[in-house]
Amino acid sequence: MSFALYLPYYILKPDITIIVIIMAEHPSTILKQKRTDLISSFLEDNNEDFLEQHSRLFDDYFCGVFEESAVGPRMNIVKNPYAVVALGGYGRQEQCIWSDIDLLILFRDKITTEAEDLIREIVYPLWDIGLQVGYSTMTKKECLNLAKDDFEVLMSVLDSRFICGMSKVYFDFKKELMGTFANSRSEKITSWLVENNHIRHQRFGDSTYLLEPNLKDGNGGLRDYHTLLWIAGIKSDLKQPRDLEYYGYLTHDEFEALTEALYFIWNVRNRNHQIAGRKCDQIYIEYQIKLSAFYYPEVSDIHEQVERFMSKLHGHMELIKHQYQMFLAEMGYVGSKKLKKGFFRKHTPIKGLIVKKNMLNFVSLEAVLKSPELLINIFEESMRLKVHLSTEAKRVVKEMSHLVNEDFRSSPGVAKSFENILVTHVPGFTILNEMLNTDFLVRFLPEFKKIVNRVQYDEYHLYTVDKHLLRTVQTLKKFGINEDTDNYQLFHEFYKEIPDRKTMLWAALFHDIGKGEEGKSHADQGAEIVKPILKRMGYKPEFVEIVSFLIREHLFLIKVATRRDINDEMTAISCARKIKDINLLKMLYLLTVADSMATGPKAWNDWIAVLLRELFLKVMHILENGELATTEAVKAVDEKKKRILASVAKKEDIKNLEFLIENMSPRYLLYVSAEDILDHIMLFNNLGDSEFAWNISSGMDSDTRTVSICAKNSPGLFSRLSSIFTLYNLNILDAQIYTWRNNIALDIFTVTPPMDSIFEDDIWSRAKKDLLSVLSGDLDVDNRLQASMLASRKEYKHLLKRPHQVKIDNDSSSFFTIIEVFAYDFPGLLFSITNIFFRLKLDVHIAKVATKLDQVVDVFYIRDLNGEKIENSEQLSELKKTIEDVLDTNN
Amino acid sequence: MKKIEAIIKPFKLDDVKEALNEIGIQGMTIVEVKGYGRQKGHKEIYRGAEYIVDFIPKIKIELVVDSQVVDKVVETIKKAANTGKIGDGKIFVLSVEQAIRVRTGETGKDAI
Repeated sequence: MSFALYLPYYILKPDITIIVIIMAEHPSTILKQKRTDLISSFLEDNNEDFLEQHSRLFDDYFCGVFEESAVGPRMNIVKNPYAVVALGGYGRQEQCIWSDIDLLILFRDKITTEAEDLIREIVYPLWDIGLQVGYSTMTKKECLNLAKDDFEVLMSVLDSRFICGMSKVYFDFKKELMGTFANSRSEKITSWLVENNHIRHQRFGDSTYLLEPNLKDGNGGLRDYHTLLWIAGIKSDLKQPRDLEYYGYLTHDEFEALTEALYFIWNVRNRNHQIAGRKCDQIYIEYQIKLSAFYYPEVSDIHEQVERFMSKLHGHMELIKHQYQMFLAEMGYVGSKKLKKGFFRKHTPIKGLIVKKNMLNFVSLEAVLKSPELLINIFEESMRLKVHLSTEAKRVVKEMSHLVNEDFRSSPGVAKSFENILVTHVPGFTILNEMLNTDFLVRFLPEFKKIVNRVQYDEYHLYTVDKHLLRTVQTLKKFGINEDTDNYQLFHEFYKEIPDRKTMLWAALFHDIGKGEEGKSHADQGAEIVKPILKRMGYKPEFVEIVSFLIREHLFLIKVATRRDINDEMTAISCARKIKDINLLKMLYLLTVADSMATGPKAWNDWIAVLLRELFLKVMHILENGELATTEAVKAVDEKKKRILASVAKKEDIKNLEFLIENMSPRYLLYVSAEDILDHIMLFNNLGDSEFAWNISSGMDSDTRTVSICAKNSPGLFSRLSSIFTLYNLNILDAQIYTWRNNIALDIFTVTPPMDSIFEDDIWSRAKKDLLSVLSGDLDVDNRLQASMLASRKEYKHLLKRPHQVKIDNDSSSFFTIIEVFAYDFPGLLFSITNIFFRLKLDVHIAKVATKLDQVVDVFYIRDLNGEKIENSEQLSELKKTIEDVLDTNN
Repeated sequence: MKKIEAIIKPFKLDDVKEALNEIGIQGMTIVEVKGYGRQKGHKEIYRGAEYIVDFIPKIKIELVVDSQVVDKVVETIKKAANTGKIGDGKIFVLSVEQAIRVRTGETGKDAI
């Protein structure tokens, strides 16, 4: 075979192309075929040694090409020895389907000019069959120098493996390389590795929670394992992964578990490569469906399939992450920082525990067996002293978990410790996570079992249920620390004000516990599941009720904020009536915020934050102002509704009434008696298409008349109605107006009776006619009144100026501007004021007018014609001045 | 083909979606947006601190439909999103030159 035949086709001359086609036995062709066979056998029945066999195929290829090389002999391996070396993943024999192949041609003395030809001979054919190959040619000296300066290079040569050529070149090199790791340098490299991996984690996120985890670079990914391997390799010159166990870095069981986890991850990685058709280590959602169909063919529901698959994957990645963290902790690292020797000297007063090398430990196994409470004490101490548990201690907690039994769970001391851990926030310490990782949490709260590693297969939830619950607790506790931003300020204030935060934190810990159950809403189920747990922990029934309520309603505020009209007062009132208590509202709000924040960016953003805060503040106002949402109010309204509904018998009538009640405003239902409401309903039924319907009744002592008017609300209605009374010289003693939500106005006036009591009926029917003309615009009541008021003014003119006051309150209600007028009465007062509202295009929604002797107290709830409060300060001062002017001229 | 962009109140989304489904429109893009028009922002006062909402949260619905059904779709959205109050939103109709379905390469009406 001549050299030319091995060239890739594109540099061949056209006339010899045909020769290439018949050269079927070129190693690259064989490689391609064997690879196809190996991959398909792997895909079918999970060949356990796939990675090794796959790597070996490449070894065979390189050896084959090398043996038959045309350039090789010319390079004179005896005079200028060299070796072909595998690097990186290929060096570790972890060659996945589409992983890169990294190759080094290592020369003992100098690089010959033929090296380039050799590369062409062995690397180009691989490119032609679609593989990614990276290569470098270096002398031993160059490579050692480079490895000294560039840790990336160092790591890849650490994993190197001899393939073919002169073996002595390679083994001499490796020996020299290991010799360069003097103590100080190995520390420096370790720090770099830890830091580097830390940065990678920040970039790729925590795969143990993420929806689309990265198998290689994320937290709990293969790189964690590699970093562990490298560090141990530098310190102890490992020859193979199993040495981790022999050198005491891992126990036998840990190594077994690690191997199993790695095997699964590599298996998934290979399949992911195959599905993607390229090197791809991110498990995208669309791939998850295909992958899970392979692993769980017996499960018919596709969501269930994916959830099961992802739970398993997360579980394995969690193990790697955990193993890596324990390893780092033993090396003296906390996070990515190494602790200085003897920097902290902490002591624990608890018998049976000891602080060693700044790690918390059990004194002995016997101590734990003798007093099992140590299993929880150690976590509490870890939190108090801000010292982590040692690897050994975590191991003991895991292995002794059978001691956490029924007696342990119901011990008051243990419950107290757990509560302490739950409510205390220590920045940088997530004790609950430690408890989860060591299986303690699940032993202690067996109800957690069903949700551990439970993935929620959607784009909303980034974390598994168990992690989400712990994150919610952590987020909530963070509100306890003052943060600068405006939003946090509010959370912080509330957090501090809540008298018993424990209920809220328990609710945070359990709010999604119902997700492990089938069927109805998880919030309802969770509210029930939590009851026996808290009872067993010794909490009082009232305490349990609050936690249960918070869990049941943990989605309530967010649902209302996004799905109801928060500018409708009724929305806020019904929230307030459901929650009833200010502290409960605050807790529910904080829980909602923490829950959303801990879910992921799709659940918490500025958009939702604004909606939720607005609703919250509105409900808060209503609860703080009391009247509308107190228990008594709710009860009174309920009783009224019952009485009203009892007045009719037919199903259809009941339905109609229910509809009307639904439309009545909250204040109306609260302040108007059931009898009056029934009268008003009758009026409403009489209204039909007419302009208004009214009803006049005498008061008990018959020197007053109550005129109830029902009409479709329109701007200025109130003002026109009151004008009629002024026109007929009837003094308005009291007036209340209510607007139903279906735009029906009910105005109830208490007035003095007409002077002429004999012809009273006659007067009323004339008044009715005039009112019709006023409402239809035929009668210009304004001018007539101005004239008559001017005439009567002199009569009423007082010698002394009498004080009056106009107060504008924009704070008490989120929905109305409240105007209070205190003044001395004069004829047409109510008309004058309401006429101002009409002229300024303001709508009176509610009014309460009361006269005591000659003093008047008027309260108006007004909005502009768009249904908004009046917030423009110029408009407000104009309004105030206009009213004051009227009061001045008539005083 | 026309593109319809509708800005509506968040709590009206379900109503609008349902109404559109009823007339056979199934695909749409929904964006959480903030803005203000004639309905200026407002504020909540709590303990003397003002919590100003200058940009009001809204939902934007985007959909591309065949020109023939534009009026029907607009009418449907209008009806479903209406509360009669200020801030109920706006609907814009834009001309669309071309639509292509990436997977199949279909164009025009077939691609929407």
